Amino acid sequence: MNNQDTVDVTTPDKVEPAAPATLVMSNISKLYSGVAALSDVSVEILPGEVHAILGENGAGKSTLMNVASGTAQPDGGSITFEGTPIGVLTPAIAVQLGIAIVHQHPAVLPDMTVLENLQVALPAEVLSSGTSLEATATALLADAGLSVHLQDRVELLSVAQKHLLEIAKALALKPKLLILDEPTAPLGQASVDLLFERVRRSVSNGTAVVYITHRLAEVRELADKVTVLRDGRVRGSARVVDITDDELLAMIVGRKLESTFPPKHISSPDDEANFSINGLSGSGFANISISARPGEIIGIAGVVGNGQSELMRALAGLDYFTGTVAIAGTTLNSRQLLQEAAYMPADRHREGLLMSLSVRENAAVSALAKFKRGPLLSRKRELGTVAETLGSLAVKAASMDSVVSSLSGGNQQKVVLARALLSEPLLVVADEPTQGVDVGARAEIYRILREVSASGIPVVVASSDAKELEGLCDQVIVMSRGHALEVLQGAAISEERMIHAAVRSTTRSVSVVADAEASKHSGLRRFLQGDYAPAVLLVGVIALLGSFLFSQNARYLSDFNIYSVLTLVTALGFIALGQTISLLIGGIDLSVGPLAGFLVVIGSFFINDDKSVLMIVLGVVLMIVVAAVVGVVNGSLIRFARFTPIAATLTVYIALQGFSFLLRSSPDGYINSTVTGIIGSQLGPVPVAFIVLVAATLVTEYCLKKRRWGWRLRATGSNEESARRNGININRTVVLAYVATSLFAFVGAVMLMAQIGVGDPAQGVGYTLTSITAVVLGGTSLLGGRGTFIGTLLGSILLVQVLNATSFLGLSQMWQYLFQGLLILVAAIVYSVARRNNKRRKTSFALR
Amino acid sequence: MIDATVREPAKLLSSRLVVSKGFVTVGVSTVLLFVVCALVAPTSVSGGAVLGMIPFAAVLAIVGLGQMLVVQQGGIDLSIPGAVSLAIVIVSHEPDGDNSRLLPAVILALAYAIGAGLLNGFMVGRLGLNSIIATLGTNALLFGAVLGISGGTPRSTTSLLAGIAGGLTWGIPNSAFFALAALAIVTVVVKRTVAGRRFEAVGANPLTARATGLRVTIHQSLAFVWAQLLYCLAGILLAGITNQPTAFQGDAYLLPAVAVVVLGGTSLLGGRGYPIATVIAALFLSQLDQFVLSLGVPYAVRTLVQAAALAVGVALYTVDWAAFRQRFIRRSPRIGTPA
Repeated sequence: MNNQDTVDVTTPDKVEPAAPATLVMSNISKLYSGVAALSDVSVEILPGEVHAILGENGAGKSTLMNVASGTAQPDGGSITFEGTPIGVLTPAIAVQLGIAIVHQHPAVLPDMTVLENLQVALPAEVLSSGTSLEATATALLADAGLSVHLQDRVELLSVAQKHLLEIAKALALKPKLLILDEPTAPLGQASVDLLFERVRRSVSNGTAVVYITHRLAEVRELADKVTVLRDGRVRGSARVVDITDDELLAMIVGRKLESTFPPKHISSPDDEANFSINGLSGSGFANISISARPGEIIGIAGVVGNGQSELMRALAGLDYFTGTVAIAGTTLNSRQLLQEAAYMPADRHREGLLMSLSVRENAAVSALAKFKRGPLLSRKRELGTVAETLGSLAVKAASMDSVVSSLSGGNQQKVVLARALLSEPLLVVADEPTQGVDVGARAEIYRILREVSASGIPVVVASSDAKELEGLCDQVIVMSRGHALEVLQGAAISEERMIHAAVRSTTRSVSVVADAEASKHSGLRRFLQGDYAPAVLLVGVIALLGSFLFSQNARYLSDFNIYSVLTLVTALGFIALGQTISLLIGGIDLSVGPLAGFLVVIGSFFINDDKSVLMIVLGVVLMIVVAAVVGVVNGSLIRFARFTPIAATLTVYIALQGFSFLLRSSPDGYINSTVTGIIGSQLGPVPVAFIVLVAATLVTEYCLKKRRWGWRLRATGSNEESARRNGININRTVVLAYVATSLFAFVGAVMLMAQIGVGDPAQGVGYTLTSITAVVLGGTSLLGGRGTFIGTLLGSILLVQVLNATSFLGLSQMWQYLFQGLLILVAAIVYSVARRNNKRRKTSFALR
Repeated sequence: MIDATVREPAKLLSSRLVVSKGFVTVGVSTVLLFVVCALVAPTSVSGGAVLGMIPFAAVLAIVGLGQMLVVQQGGIDLSIPGAVSLAIVIVSHEPDGDNSRLLPAVILALAYAIGAGLLNGFMVGRLGLNSIIATLGTNALLFGAVLGISGGTPRSTTSLLAGIAGGLTWGIPNSAFFALAALAIVTVVVKRTVAGRRFEAVGANPLTARATGLRVTIHQSLAFVWAQLLYCLAGILLAGITNQPTAFQGDAYLLPAVAVVVLGGTSLLGGRGYPIATVIAALFLSQLDQFVLSLGVPYAVRTLVQAAALAVGVALYTVDWAAFRQRFIRRSPRIGTPA
């Protein structure tokens, strides 16, 4: 193939800069499991310049930028920032230096509001600089061309809006170096113009911008300099004005071809087409048509993320589409395609394989019905057929019983292929079939696809590697932003043609969402989608139930009843507040009940009538310490020993019960009556402890919404990966969250202690499930990321009220259980349906 | 790299007997436990003690198998107490000592079980609720039914049921045969039928299962129904084993059921199930009780040993011990960036 020296038509720019370069990367190399992603790459980024990095998929652009932003550590080479050599660049150091990067996939937190996303990502001084927080934040968003309401949940934003939010976060830092990775991919024209305008403004203030793109048009419009990467090497660097499009293209294409391809199909003109798609449109692609004769492989080309994967999913029957798909003259709908098409997804681990099962089970899963003999599976038949197929694909594994996750990428892909072949499909849909596959296995996969095609089964292959499509396919659709730009056939299929079409395209996204448009959500809807709707609902239910009970029996509002109900609420309330914290981070704490019981048992040794004040204080301190230790144990088991939250806290649950019984085999140790009196003191009919509970709820609620502490919790529960990229220490947050849960359980235990008045090892256990019930009633999601402490308090009140109501109405215990059960189920169903509707609204929004 | 394509690879084989890590761990622990019992507290392995232990191990094994099916789908079933208690109450209250009314009562119990399973399955599989919440709610409803039927007072079981569930055949408690039958059915159905294999595939990765055209929702929902049927069987047996069962007998089975599933090696994240290991784990926990009991140590120690067994059991699967050892043997060399 081409030698590097012969293609280099330009030499790197030699103009001496006035100021020191913002970033100099010299001779950078980076290996990924032995394969060079970058070799000997040197780039110089100057202040006040837009430096475009061009190159094909997999040319090393993103890796280079990960090195520049500290996300990846290079294996060789050096980095200099504003003239100072940087030894090791980490994301934290990069932020300090003033390097901001906008990733292709925005690191936003879906369960939090737009404003909170800004608050999590930005240092406090950035937002507090202006007149008011809201005004500053709105200005920051407007700066990036985004005008959504600050209180909108990010989950409800369109992809483009999320992207603009990400850009706003980067711009707000007023970076010295701004890295934009394919920023325009999801944006409409108006937003692109706005973004370019904004970038030019930053540049005129001296910011250095690195702009990664696939598109020549954007390079021409925005960039001062351009560097082209290919196969992890610099192919050339020039001032944009000094180089023609054709010269740039010559540098981009011509990748070394490593695999061999089987010969292409030679079809006779009188062959009938056996596969055709007509006017296919769906989410992310529009109006795609093509037809193929038996033996022809159809390729889908284009820059990653231009609707190819969506088209493939539609063909596999996984996504909705309009238009027709016909195989051998029969039109198939989505449901039929799902059954009849064999789909090889791009993300093998997520959607292609059953990672924890064996090679045999993975290969056989779609063909099980064929191995039946009588009601059971015939082992012989299964092994025979599967072994034969695996053998014909040359799958290399220790045995058929090997876990599929232990195989190399190439062999994993062959297992997916084996499953596809065993299912005897009518159509094979392969999305990036050779991604992460070694060279040897690639050639075999090409051969197999060719054989499948030759047997008369239509094959559709999407690939970001134009060279691969050139070698493999008989027809190629080039896609850009969801449209078919061109259909290449026969000799016209060349890498050059495909890349020309893709990089020269100026089409805009199919889903041209009104990205910059102000959101039209009314205040009412925003409230309903907000966190507090469940709380208001609960207040209504509590008031209704209360007035009904009062109408039945006037003693319901007697001082005595109010006092006893609210007293019961305090113990549950504190424990449930703690449980809320665990659920907010996406975990769960089953150990709170036994912990509360255990703490009461501990207290019963110290807090007695005959003990000195010192001993009583010591007892309380000991209770606090034990609670904290339990929290640390829970958190550590989850974060460091990789237990699931259920397994970890269940283990602790059982252990704590054991400790309780170890200390006291039967109830003993009467609690000091003065202490009990203090805890049980009242203000009018209201227990003081209840007032403390309400105060604690309000304070924690405030922290949850307005303090970094609360944002961290919710960010972690909302999306761990995004939270990490926003600089949150996940391990610390989770462990501290479990400690906080345990400390609340301690306060609950103090209430419990006063109520039972004796160290009883069997008490408290029930609070685990009751606390979870209360939290869920309050509207906190078990998936993490959203919830309120106020809701939890109200949930606790309602729960106790319902139990109290049954006894007040003279109903049997049966009704207590029935009410409780119905309450949980109705609440869970209502909240989950409401949430699903929100999501649906979002999807339909994106489809427009 | 080229030679790989030329060389004909050896044909892949599959061994008939695959021994799982869970089976080995639990199996060896159980054998060790019995050895220790024989040495330290011979009374705990005496004929009478074992005969007393087996029925409760059998009930725990059956409940554990049910929980395993739900866990295989990535869920967890908290409705065990209500389900087991309801079955007990129905088969002891409805016949009221009359043997001829036992069969209708059993059928009624099964009908309730199917109803509860469908409710759980609909909420989790179809509506997408978290299984913790859905089964927690169902559990409360089941207890409502328990109290509605029994009024909270126990009633002694029929002599027929006591004979079937509590009797001996060839010197072995009948309940053991029920447990073995349940084990055989679960194993064969899950491992050797088309539906069972698809069931495991759905549990291992619902997204992949859907992409290959499997009916994910149905499998996820039905897991709860199969589980309820097993809980119902366990409840009926328990009603026969204990002469005067209380209305809250099922409470004692929730945590041990989760524990035996985890000890058996089934991941709480879903996927492959290990029925045999689960049943052995039930035997292990029951014998552990027996051992601790005969030593005369308090209930507390037994609970602590259970917790320790659970912690060790989970850590065996979750902690990457190879990497852990490596970290202490040698620090990985730091890749420097020469300036």
